[in-house]
Amino acid sequence: MNQRIEDFDKVEKKDLFTSGHRACGGCGQAMAARMVADASGENTIACVATGCLEVFSSPYPDPSWRIPFLHSLFENAAAVASGVEAAYKALNKGPVNIIAQGGDGSTADIGFQCISGMFERGHNVLYVCYDNEAYMNTGVQRSSFTPFGARTTTTPMGNKTRKKNLPLIAADHGIPYVATATVDDFRDLQRKVKKALSIEGPKYIHILVPCPLGWGHAGELTVKICRLAKDTGLYPVFEMIDGKVTNAKKIPVKVPVEEYLKLQGRFKHLFKKGVPIPEVAEIQQIANENIERFNL
Amino acid sequence: MEKLPLGLVLDLNKVVPYKTGSWRTLMPVNIMQTPPCTHSCPAGNDIRGFLRVLADQKDYETAWHVLTRTNPLPSTCGRVCPHPCEAGCNRRDFDEPLAINSAERAVGDYGLKNNLVHKKLVSGRKEKVAVVGSGPAGLSCAFHLAKRGFHVKIFESASEPGGMMRYGIPPYRLPNYILRQEIEKILNLGIELECNVKVGVNLALDQLSREYDAVFLGPGAQKGVAIDLPGKSADNVYTGVDFLKQVNSGKWMEIGKDVVVIGGGNTAMDCARVTKRLGANVSVVYRRTRVEMPAITAEIDEAMEERILFRYHTNPVKLIVDEGRVVGLLCVQMELKEPDASGRARPVPIAGSEAFIPADTVIMATGQAVDYDGLDIQTVDNQWMHTNENLMTSMDGVFAGGDAVVGLETVSLAIGQGTRAASAIEDYIDGNRESQLSQPPVIFSRDLNTYYYDKQKRFEKEAESIHMRLKNFREVYPAIDPEAIIEEAGRCFSCGLCFSCGNCHMYCPDCAVKVSPSGGYEFDYDFCKGCGLCSKECPCHYIQMTLEK
Repeated sequence: MNQRIEDFDKVEKKDLFTSGHRACGGCGQAMAARMVADASGENTIACVATGCLEVFSSPYPDPSWRIPFLHSLFENAAAVASGVEAAYKALNKGPVNIIAQGGDGSTADIGFQCISGMFERGHNVLYVCYDNEAYMNTGVQRSSFTPFGARTTTTPMGNKTRKKNLPLIAADHGIPYVATATVDDFRDLQRKVKKALSIEGPKYIHILVPCPLGWGHAGELTVKICRLAKDTGLYPVFEMIDGKVTNAKKIPVKVPVEEYLKLQGRFKHLFKKGVPIPEVAEIQQIANENIERFNL
Repeated sequence: MEKLPLGLVLDLNKVVPYKTGSWRTLMPVNIMQTPPCTHSCPAGNDIRGFLRVLADQKDYETAWHVLTRTNPLPSTCGRVCPHPCEAGCNRRDFDEPLAINSAERAVGDYGLKNNLVHKKLVSGRKEKVAVVGSGPAGLSCAFHLAKRGFHVKIFESASEPGGMMRYGIPPYRLPNYILRQEIEKILNLGIELECNVKVGVNLALDQLSREYDAVFLGPGAQKGVAIDLPGKSADNVYTGVDFLKQVNSGKWMEIGKDVVVIGGGNTAMDCARVTKRLGANVSVVYRRTRVEMPAITAEIDEAMEERILFRYHTNPVKLIVDEGRVVGLLCVQMELKEPDASGRARPVPIAGSEAFIPADTVIMATGQAVDYDGLDIQTVDNQWMHTNENLMTSMDGVFAGGDAVVGLETVSLAIGQGTRAASAIEDYIDGNRESQLSQPPVIFSRDLNTYYYDKQKRFEKEAESIHMRLKNFREVYPAIDPEAIIEEAGRCFSCGLCFSCGNCHMYCPDCAVKVSPSGGYEFDYDFCKGCGLCSKECPCHYIQMTLEK
């Protein structure tokens, strides 16, 4: 049978993050949260930072989580998770999977010092970052994960800076496992989550989750856009074990960035009557640099 | 006093989720659609069905039963069909079409080898139906009627059943024993067979239609048509049909050293290849070029491989006769001008280009016609039988199908006609109006999400080497490896039918695609927000978005 669709029996389908949440149709973050929860299993505690995920999945009295869920503040998901882990250790309980989760704003900007601290102290926690490249919950404001050229409400002419490369920053803390993934390849994503949970120490997984509302695309295109992000080279998918890049996913057929950009409303201003403006060349440059750097 | 826990406590098992289904404007539905292979199969075989059974369950027996629902002659079709299904296969736009023809042959041969038996759907109806002719149309009609419980009797004019499959197709394409076994299986449904009875000559059609509740005519086009050339009545001039009939009856033919076959159809190719195997130097004379030849492309290729000489743009004008025997042909060169009524280029002779071709035997495979001897049936242009949309002829209760109705066509089309006639006859006997069920729409390549498929090499059947082929009448293509066919079946896209890839289930952000008790997937419309991801990522276009009810 065709390789891409075989082994569906091995995919984790536990519905630990279920229906009834208030995410938009086609939300990549909801997909990712479910895939992560299913991969980690029942013996898991989720500590979630403020953001879309927390808002749409946890209103009282009908949360979507079927595993213990903790929310405290925007900035301290990693610190809360560190505390949970320390408490389990102190009570001599466990083992339990502790997963801190946050959007790109809470990971890269607001909660960065807590994450850095968690990595530095060496807590046995998996941090999962759902990267939708802006503050979607509060109305699409720029974050430090917003890519070059993307329009947000605070960068109406397109973002002027490049995206912060947090996976490499995390790896430079000397943590044992860092990985990037996308929602289109759920087998790969679940494999990485399981692998991370099997490793002792702080781990970091970065997941690209398209946001139909903020990115300006139809909900049905979420998976296709993820795939294009990989195939253009704009989003390299790789693993880092003890600081060394391994298992970087090769691009089967390289795609020009225009195809990725044209599907999204946030890059619409980069095309004047269908003709790309010079910024597109710079985005292509970013993609080329990624391809060269990670040998995609 | 009971000690309450601090803060709010929620029992996660008792949570009543908020129903987000009300947000939806479009809803996904599972719609089974017609795959292009079935759409282009004249017999209407469930190709996707039997390939899926092979790929998923590796079960040849079930596959045989799926295939023989529509086609009682899978081994025969797997050998002689020009497989329009493969031309329709959506995989042709991706890499190469599936080897459906070889798969059909493998499944049919499995059925013969393991002696699988056709199952009756209903038994014990008292109505009687007569079927005239035991070619593919007659056999298929008899098969489907017998499955529905009718008493069927076949009348065959030749001494053995099979019609053109028996007497028209040489054994190197379709061995006799294969055909005989398949016909036996069909007759085992309780069908009577009477050979050596020519309806219209030995038995009047009126009598048949009085004695039986309905009659099906599948006489085929058994009469060879010779072109009107001076000298055509010589001893060693045959029509293609007669020649093949005599060879296939086992008669030894004295054909001499040089044989000239006139014509470019399948009969011409068969005659040329048969005479080549009998040891003659064969040339095929055709007025147009290869492009206009009506024969199946593979047949022409194989004839060329067997070193048969093709003379294009050549038209015979006279047969040179010496003492009642032909010694050669006088031919003229042609050039092609604007297309004629048949859409093929019109050949026009070039003046002064006459040439002589020596010949010990001349075979004119230049057309076939229906033998109307004793059959008083309304015709179209004095050639083919006239039928209405239910395949009924001008006589009440007399139906017709196959080559006699549609002109010179394939075995699979005749089978399809027999199937249609069987349901028309059932409706006629029961007094029903024929129910015309609309067919679901056909799926084309543009509807599929081919990202989820891998490029794979197509199964190619291997032909016997040419010098071995020409020594005898054994099959050109030896037996096919059943394991290779199972692998080949795995290449099927399963256009328009779920094959449980699980994409809809995993990609749904709302977990609104549930595993149904029957094993497939179903939608939970209480929670589906109608984003369309499942439809977009469904590889085979089984899920489609429709307007909210």
